[in-house]
Amino acid sequence: MSDQQLNNLIKMLDQIIANNLHHGDDDKVSDVAADHLQKFWARSMKQQIIAHANQSPRELSVLAKLTVDKLEPTVK
Amino acid sequence: MLHYYDPATQTYEPGKNGLNPDFDSFSRDLGTPPSLSEEPVSISVDGREITVPEGTSVLRAAALAGINIPKLCASDNLEAFGSCRLCAVEIEGRRGYPASCTTPVAEGMAVTTQTGKLAKLRRNIMELYISDHPLDCLTCPANGNCELQDVAGVVGLREVRYGFEGENHLDAETDSSNPYFSFDPSKCIVCSRCVRACDEVQGTFALTIEGRGFDSKVVASQNDPFMDSECVSCGACVQACPTSTLMEKSVIEEGQPEHSVVTTCAYCGVGCSFKAEMKGDQVVRMVPYKGGEANHGHSCVKGRFAFGYATHEDRIREPMIRDSINDPWQVVSWDEALAFAAKKLKATQAKYGRESIGGITSSRCTNEETYLVQKLVRAAFGNNNTDTCARVCHSPTGYGLKTTLGESAGTQTFDSVMKADTIMVIGANPTDAHPVFGSLMRKRLRQGAKLIVIDPRRIDLISTPNAEEGLHLPLRPGTNVAIVNALAHVIVTEGLEDQEFINSRCDTEAYNTWRSFIAEERNSPEAMEAVTGVAADKVREAARLYAQAGNGAIYYGLGVTEHSQGSTMVMGIANLALATGNIGKEGGGVNPLRGQNNVQGSCDMGSFPHELPGYQHVNDQAVRERFEAVWGVPIDKEPGLRIPNMFDAAIAGTFKALYVQGEDIAQSDPNTQHVEAALRALDCLVVQDIFLNETAKFAHVLLPGSTFLEKNGTFTNAERRINRVRKVMEPIAGMEDWQVTMALSNALGYPMHYNHPSEIMDEIASLTPTFTGVNYDKLEQLGSIQWPCNEEHPEGMPTMHTVDFPIGKGRFAVTEYLATEERASRRFPLLLTTGRILSQYNVGAQTRRTSNSDWHEEDVLELHPSDAELRGVKDGDWLGISSRVGHTVLRAKLSTRMLPGVVYTTFHHPSSGANVVTTDNSDWATNCPEYKVTAVQVEKVSQPSDWQRNFVDFDQRQQALLQPAMESEEGSHANALK
Ligand code: SF4
Ligand code: SF4
Ligand code: SF4
Ligand code: FES
Repeated sequence: MSDQQLNNLIKMLDQIIANNLHHGDDDKVSDVAADHLQKFWARSMKQQIIAHANQSPRELSVLAKLTVDKLEPTVK
Repeated sequence: MLHYYDPATQTYEPGKNGLNPDFDSFSRDLGTPPSLSEEPVSISVDGREITVPEGTSVLRAAALAGINIPKLCASDNLEAFGSCRLCAVEIEGRRGYPASCTTPVAEGMAVTTQTGKLAKLRRNIMELYISDHPLDCLTCPANGNCELQDVAGVVGLREVRYGFEGENHLDAETDSSNPYFSFDPSKCIVCSRCVRACDEVQGTFALTIEGRGFDSKVVASQNDPFMDSECVSCGACVQACPTSTLMEKSVIEEGQPEHSVVTTCAYCGVGCSFKAEMKGDQVVRMVPYKGGEANHGHSCVKGRFAFGYATHEDRIREPMIRDSINDPWQVVSWDEALAFAAKKLKATQAKYGRESIGGITSSRCTNEETYLVQKLVRAAFGNNNTDTCARVCHSPTGYGLKTTLGESAGTQTFDSVMKADTIMVIGANPTDAHPVFGSLMRKRLRQGAKLIVIDPRRIDLISTPNAEEGLHLPLRPGTNVAIVNALAHVIVTEGLEDQEFINSRCDTEAYNTWRSFIAEERNSPEAMEAVTGVAADKVREAARLYAQAGNGAIYYGLGVTEHSQGSTMVMGIANLALATGNIGKEGGGVNPLRGQNNVQGSCDMGSFPHELPGYQHVNDQAVRERFEAVWGVPIDKEPGLRIPNMFDAAIAGTFKALYVQGEDIAQSDPNTQHVEAALRALDCLVVQDIFLNETAKFAHVLLPGSTFLEKNGTFTNAERRINRVRKVMEPIAGMEDWQVTMALSNALGYPMHYNHPSEIMDEIASLTPTFTGVNYDKLEQLGSIQWPCNEEHPEGMPTMHTVDFPIGKGRFAVTEYLATEERASRRFPLLLTTGRILSQYNVGAQTRRTSNSDWHEEDVLELHPSDAELRGVKDGDWLGISSRVGHTVLRAKLSTRMLPGVVYTTFHHPSSGANVVTTDNSDWATNCPEYKVTAVQVEKVSQPSDWQRNFVDFDQRQQALLQPAMESEEGSHANALK
């Protein structure tokens, strides 16, 4: 995985979250965002963001981390 | 019951003689347009009884009764004019000889079309015409297809008493300035059909009759050559002309065609039907087909004239391979090329894993071809790494409309616009990009419909001749969602909602949430003014105009989708339509104008990495099981990579091989340098195309593609209309595109066997709930079908959502405005936005290889005079354009179409490098690139950019690597002919 690829994934994730903040509290927003990732991201992209969240959790925003945590169990 | 002409009872027999244009009802000219009235009126014509709708002309009624009254100035796509008097008849109880084209039927009327007096009158008229007409019929290009000749024959003209010595127009000079048709005024009978066609059908008003009596003549604009006039070369006047005055140059050169085949234009999402008029296997001309439901016999310069690329010398005629992109191309047999490709693809998967390869389907190829490519990826590659160029144009439409209305498609027919009272056009330029529909819109605007245009640029539609000026909201690029929210705010707070529709048709909870959001003061036009740059009172006026119209119709294009909030904007548009009850009825609706000919179809056919055909998610086990049963392989339940994700993965080294059918991602995708780096990183790039396009220059396998003239299949236009594409000539390299995909699949070890695209359609129908009723027989019978077509709607569905939505109730969506990160700054103070023009199509590979380039030789940068003055720039100066990702050079064109601070260009020429400067920002939901907003700086320069110089070098090198292969092709070609 290249830095650029990871940066793009993080940027995309942040953008998805930003566009769904209106859904309510962190729990709801991360539900919607995780559902979006599940529906539209490729397996490799999911794995990459999950690996990154596990390795360097503090580099993700709170909401991004929460989203990835919810995504993780859905990806094998 | 009204007696309409019923093709089924006439010479045309569905299923028997097929869609033979020489037999169908549409080849007859009934003289005047149909009347829309429902009131029946009965008359007798020469003793034959006929019942027609009130308002029908006597001429048309007679034609419907099978009696053809001679005529010259009338044609059934033009309002009757009554100038030639040839159509004179006698009517019982009336004096004189009224012109039947301008006389409406009346109950009980008894008409006689043939008496001695009428015959004499008609002969006299013809005599006058012919006395000022050259008698060179045998060498005239219209010979065999001339209405003047026909009428002379019908009236029995035997002598011309006036002689040819008197004053005449026989020496008038021919205007050959237009590359496709000529104007020979010596043959003109001043019937004004051309003038009326330009006014009524095309809506350009380029032609007039100048002078009176003997001196009257047809002139373009201010007596200019056609090429310098306002003429946009749509061909309507050529079609209307009953003589050879206005005539296709191809017919002048090659003679009259001898047979014809009805097919569908491959240039844009309007999907016009054409008769390909042929001599053997050569197309002499393309004539718009009156029976085409999308175009009703109209055309634009692309479909009508720009077909010469099909036989251009640059066509790739044989398969080629090479190990590295620095090697020369090697011509090989199909078998060798396919085996080479299959071996490389398999080796790549063996080394880098199943997900290391993918495919890109084409929005220019047929539904059947697209379906096969995604099937190949899913079944033979075993992953979901399939995507299409719709990713970069209308993917947000799919997402946004599916979320709100439950179906990823426009809601109306094109004809629905004729019932619209207010037309709102957002981020689209129909008169250039969807010209035939643009003409229809203009017709409706001339009838008095109101127009609202939301666009940073002042498009031509706003000033439609003979219509009221449209209301233009020139917003800042990137602020669409802000303005659509402001419009909705006005509708909600001023009580303009359609409460009944909302209560009965929409989800209450979603509505309430949306309503309280949109009513907040921060969404008001006044609060948004600073963001959008549009005066609040104009926004209020527009909202009222739309909501109080009766029927309000919204049409939108890439100016909506190609933004970081493209999907949000599509949902915002759906909100407007739901709130005002403008869904499920004619004259209303939400209508994406699709760019390429088969964008709708390629999306429908499962090109996206997360959806199987019919927008069925790969994650749905029941859906997968149905496909698995037919395809005989397991399908991955995880979505695959989208095009930008593929590029990122290629650069990262995990994505190594790609099969691209009929797309030029190297030119059309944003941030060219990034795309090029990705393509260079591939171990195996298989390109199937008609030319060595920009992408093919990075390829290892080049498979010759076929043009729309060389294959059978279907395209689906922007109104969900499935139209047949019919083969008129053999594919240049022996295989149609679907056959190539099939052969590649077989080479990969996944068997595919179809004998005809109709069998592929049968498979599609068996797996796609919205297509279950579609098959080729039905397409022959009905001409075209608008999906959904299934048990519920056996003949398709023109207007969607009339009773309910596929998701039950319409769902309002909260559309919070977020500014894009791409903002003007001190370093990049201008906003660049991109678009297209009439004569060129997309990346231009086809149109650049025709005379259409006479209208548009190069892409230019339009900028406002005040921005130009600030930088000391004059018209025609070379301008360097820099964004944070790249730099390119274009010529300047000063224009006040945009507000200061906004610059504009097109992307039809690869060397312009317009996409070198566009960034890889994208829509949050779909990754559709944000082409429409790039912060740039421009300055005067004296030489091309580095990228452009490299481009020229690389292009020359790649052409040189192709040259020997092309020459050996020519050799084998010549041998084959011997
Ligand atoms: S080609 Fe079209 S635009 Fe040009 S004069 Fe004829 S009708 Fe008018
Ligand atoms: S150019 Fe043709 S259509 Fe036009 S007035 Fe002359 S004859 Fe009629
Ligand atoms: S409007 Fe579109 S489909 Fe029709 S002729 Fe022009 S390019 Fe072809
Ligand atoms: S056709 Fe009726 S007046 Fe010319």
